[in-house]
Amino acid sequence: MAQGPVPSPAKKTSGFRVGGYSSYLLLVPGLTIATIFMILPLAIMTVVSFYTTAPSSTGYLEIFTTKNYIDFFTAPNTPTLLVNTFSLALIAAGICFAFGFPLAYFLTFRIKNATFKNYVITLLIVPFLIDASIRTVAWIAILGKDGIVNYALMSIGAIHSPLTALLFSRNTLYIIWLQTYIVFMEFPIYLAMNRIDPDLIWAAKVLKAPPHRVLYDIVFKLSLPGIICGFVFVFVSTLGDYVTPNLWAGGVQTLGLSVSRYSDNFLWPYASVLSTMLLIISVIVLFISFKVVDIRKLVYE
Amino acid sequence: MKLSDVGIRVYVAFFILLVYTPIILMIVLSTNTSGRISFPYEGFTTKWYDAKPSGFEYGSYISAYYDWAFWIAFQNTVYVAFAAAMMTTIIVTTVAMTLRHRIFGRNALFYIILLGFLVPGVALGLGNNILFRMMNWQFTWWIAAMLDTVYAVPFGLILMMARFDPDLMLYERAASVLRASPFSVFRRVTLPLIKWEVVSAAIFGFVLAWGELIRTNFVARGTGVISTYISTQLAINPITPKWYAVGTIITGISIIALVFMGWVLSRGQK
Repeated sequence: MAQGPVPSPAKKTSGFRVGGYSSYLLLVPGLTIATIFMILPLAIMTVVSFYTTAPSSTGYLEIFTTKNYIDFFTAPNTPTLLVNTFSLALIAAGICFAFGFPLAYFLTFRIKNATFKNYVITLLIVPFLIDASIRTVAWIAILGKDGIVNYALMSIGAIHSPLTALLFSRNTLYIIWLQTYIVFMEFPIYLAMNRIDPDLIWAAKVLKAPPHRVLYDIVFKLSLPGIICGFVFVFVSTLGDYVTPNLWAGGVQTLGLSVSRYSDNFLWPYASVLSTMLLIISVIVLFISFKVVDIRKLVYE
Repeated sequence: MKLSDVGIRVYVAFFILLVYTPIILMIVLSTNTSGRISFPYEGFTTKWYDAKPSGFEYGSYISAYYDWAFWIAFQNTVYVAFAAAMMTTIIVTTVAMTLRHRIFGRNALFYIILLGFLVPGVALGLGNNILFRMMNWQFTWWIAAMLDTVYAVPFGLILMMARFDPDLMLYERAASVLRASPFSVFRRVTLPLIKWEVVSAAIFGFVLAWGELIRTNFVARGTGVISTYISTQLAINPITPKWYAVGTIITGISIIALVFMGWVLSRGQK
């Protein structure tokens, strides 16, 4: 697809060329929104992380200090916080991959009917758009003290008093995250698999390649950009989620959760420090992943 | 090959079941007479939907229909979702039109746009909260709509550009060689070819804005939109089937929106 700018005849009918400098005008709305609601807030947040907490401990004074960062790195619970945050996000991304990859494979190579395919995709998105709090509360009906699992176990006589630890655990967190963020794993892999030429698989089969080699050498390797993208999407989404851990993590502390706790108590500088750390972690992860795999291949080139 | 086919079907069915069991149970238990979320099912009632309050109930015991704060939040959410859908459509379309060309700074641009989705939600929310306090700007529903737009644009962009017709730029070039102005090229050639992608970007923006809580919670607390209203109420009230009734109403609307989307997308592929 070697297409340069539009040739000159178009120039005569109008003042500018499509694909020329006029293209930059089209970027104005997008860049304005991105600057005001993303770049500016993040910059100010980083600045505030160097401000002094006010003596009344509600708000901040505009005095430069590095005390917040020193406090963060010397706090006894910081390693636990980082390990928790990392492990939760990594395992969640892994679980989403374990379900997302077969699903994407199934959608791409097994379903031939386009309408049926669209309805399966729709079925996958529905949980994502149910309200965040409602989605988490719905699990009380299953794992809660009077939920269906406890009810079933008690009626067959396996246990005598309801288990309360079912709901408030990391496992619940993983299940809810799987239900929510599988979409972010699913779509990039699906898009990448759609670009695999079916003739390649056919050729491999004709040449008597064993099924696992077809799966690994063709399907897995060629959809790797999608897989890495999905991994990053889920990782970053779970990293920034503080609502679900707040309800069900059973006291597990994460960075995101701490940010919301501190900001609820008007301790903006310390909340900003934690938030900046979160930002740095995700930028490092993004940088490494995009070095390994070119995300632009999913979109253009 | 046949055995693995059966296996993968069972796997997909299991997954759908895992994801849908809580939703189905939510709908069932929203009609339970018991005041708690509990099994076994005691009896059918619609009181969590439409019982007239006697005047002594509070929060979790007022039926969904008579909970005026919920309907205010609902109204706000509709505004937010429509505004976000409109903004997302405009931005996704304009950015996609530009990123197709080999313009200077294309990669930097792409990464900036992508960042809206990849920055952890809690950092974006906190940053906006601090900015708006500092500037003394008011926290209104349109800020939530803007945050949702920033969140929805990257994903909408990827979905739109991945589905572009490979020959789209050839048709455009043909039109402009025949001296069509850039505007009429867009209106007569480009737009008809990408209209379903545009519509799906709008629906995508609507859908993301509809249930977003992580970012919205920092800029629209309390009644605000549905998600912040429910999370605030759940933090201070007992969890009764009333919230399951509310959830059923919201889920119903979401499913209608999505079936519509599925229909739109399948039309686009014909």
